[in-house]
Amino acid sequence: MRATVRIRLVWLAIALFLELPPPYAAQAARSKPGQSLAIVVNRANPVENLSLSELRKIFLVERSHWPNGRRIVVAMMDDGQPERQTVLRQIYRMNEDGYRDYFIKGMFREDIFVAPKTLASPIVMRKFVFNAPGAIGYLRSSEVDASVKVLRIDGHLPDDKDYSLQIDEQPVK
Amino acid sequence: MKFAYLAPLSASPSKSSSSLAATKRLLLLLVLGGILPASVWAQQPSETVVVDKGTLQLLLQRIDQLEARVSQLEAARGVPPTVLLASAAPQANAASPPTSSQAEPEPEGPEPEKMDVNKTLLNIRGFGDFGLYGGDQKGEHTSFSLGELNLFITSNINDKTKFLTELVFEVHADNDFEEDLERVLLEYSFNDYLKLSAGRYHTAIGYYNTAYHHTTWFQTTTGRPFLFAYEDEGGILPIHNVGVVASGRIPSGSLGLHYVAEVGNGRTSSSPQAEPVQNFVDENSHKSLNVALFARPEAIPGSQIGFSVYRDVLFPSNSVRIGETILDAYAVLSRSNFEWLNEGVMIRHAPLGLHVYETPGFYTQISKRFGSYRPYLRYEYVNASSNEPVFPQVGLRTGPSVGVRFSASEWVSLKLQYDYTEMRHQQAINGNMCVQRAMCAPSALGLQLGYTF
Repeated sequence: MRATVRIRLVWLAIALFLELPPPYAAQAARSKPGQSLAIVVNRANPVENLSLSELRKIFLVERSHWPNGRRIVVAMMDDGQPERQTVLRQIYRMNEDGYRDYFIKGMFREDIFVAPKTLASPIVMRKFVFNAPGAIGYLRSSEVDASVKVLRIDGHLPDDKDYSLQIDEQPVK
Repeated sequence: MKFAYLAPLSASPSKSSSSLAATKRLLLLLVLGGILPASVWAQQPSETVVVDKGTLQLLLQRIDQLEARVSQLEAARGVPPTVLLASAAPQANAASPPTSSQAEPEPEGPEPEKMDVNKTLLNIRGFGDFGLYGGDQKGEHTSFSLGELNLFITSNINDKTKFLTELVFEVHADNDFEEDLERVLLEYSFNDYLKLSAGRYHTAIGYYNTAYHHTTWFQTTTGRPFLFAYEDEGGILPIHNVGVVASGRIPSGSLGLHYVAEVGNGRTSSSPQAEPVQNFVDENSHKSLNVALFARPEAIPGSQIGFSVYRDVLFPSNSVRIGETILDAYAVLSRSNFEWLNEGVMIRHAPLGLHVYETPGFYTQISKRFGSYRPYLRYEYVNASSNEPVFPQVGLRTGPSVGVRFSASEWVSLKLQYDYTEMRHQQAINGNMCVQRAMCAPSALGLQLGYTF
């Protein structure tokens, strides 16, 4: 017990000296274990519900148009964010290397017309989805607002008990 | 726990919209403060606030006026009113997900901030390789060789139109550099079921030609199977073509059917010395036709099964015209950890009124990744008649290649490959036709450094 306290004090001293943030502070600020990942689209999008299989096809760019004819623009967050890792693991079923290879190969082979857009933060994601009529992206459920529309996945909304897309903080293998 | 669909004001979509919302709320508070009778403020907090009907009407009128004023200001600033509605009505939406009828932004209308989704910009990705090759054929020397430097350039002109090209710098056996636009395509995508492309493309004969194009980076091995060698390296298939392509998905559910239909100039046939790809002028009015069909079944991720039929008529200057039919069938399983490629081709040349020649060929390739290492084995076979009218120099070529690919990093790989090739027409293995030494010698060893940037 004492040892733990001592270690923490030493770390605090080092952190103060080097002006370091507390360990994992930035992530912890946004990281709320057990949160759902909301799939969001532009408010004008007529789609209300997607199956997980359809969602996977959209994120893989195997399906590239919405029923209203608009081109689907997939938006991904930057590397290293828990939301992105959740999407890679639960939707793409790939790791970062596999994801990168998939899109480089797909573009090179002309299988993929447009690769996903990479965005820096949830705020930028929200703005992008708000502005781009064909956009689809994702946000923590707590970061969703009325500027975007939340899709049901397999008939469930993010606050439903059976909603499948739950954010975990495990690193992608 | 209830799902909060609306974030606090600070999390509204844009800075300008949030400041406007705050201004609006502030204005409303000021109005309420200014209009409410002093008696209301003077009452104790525990007491019920009683507002008469007239005052309420007055307040509502005042709110209407202020909303109209805010709308005017928004219009002057080019901000859509919907942004404010979305962020200013959190209570109404807190319990249920927003629907398209609520605060719906006008997709085509003015936007708070311009965000270009499809700028016409060039995206460039590069691939290259460098190697050391040596073989046991007499007169051959172990050499360092520059491979191809491939600049894959794309530009999304708009959300339906795209330009792409493969600009390749390569060195041939005469040590001279040469630059080629191996692919130049303008693509228009109507939907998932129809994409039209025009320009120079890689003929969709089978799998290999359109899976790897002009880079060794995506290939497990150091080079292509001889069956799919480029025309200027002695290859026997019309690898490149100039014309138009229609491609897309076929509604087929989990079967994942796709089609490709191509109409092009076909290959040059008047003279073996002529440029093999008819980039600008066709030597005849007959066009080549290629149709390919393939499936990517969802049940077997990474699998692709398909066939193609290519048809053309060749007009050699010193011979009768030759009907050319190329049939290809393949089954491949390509996953990040495991790969098994199988492809067979039958090339049929039918000179008018003369003997018909059929050239069979196939390759099979298997590899498995163990960490950064990926050992592989390929066996290939091509057997052309000595009297074959289009490629009499090919004869029999068969044998295994064995090697290992080491992924040094995400961007660099190293391949070591040994090839043993039995050849019936060794005298025809002309160094002038070979770019990579491994293709010239019956037995060869190659070390290749590949990279992408």
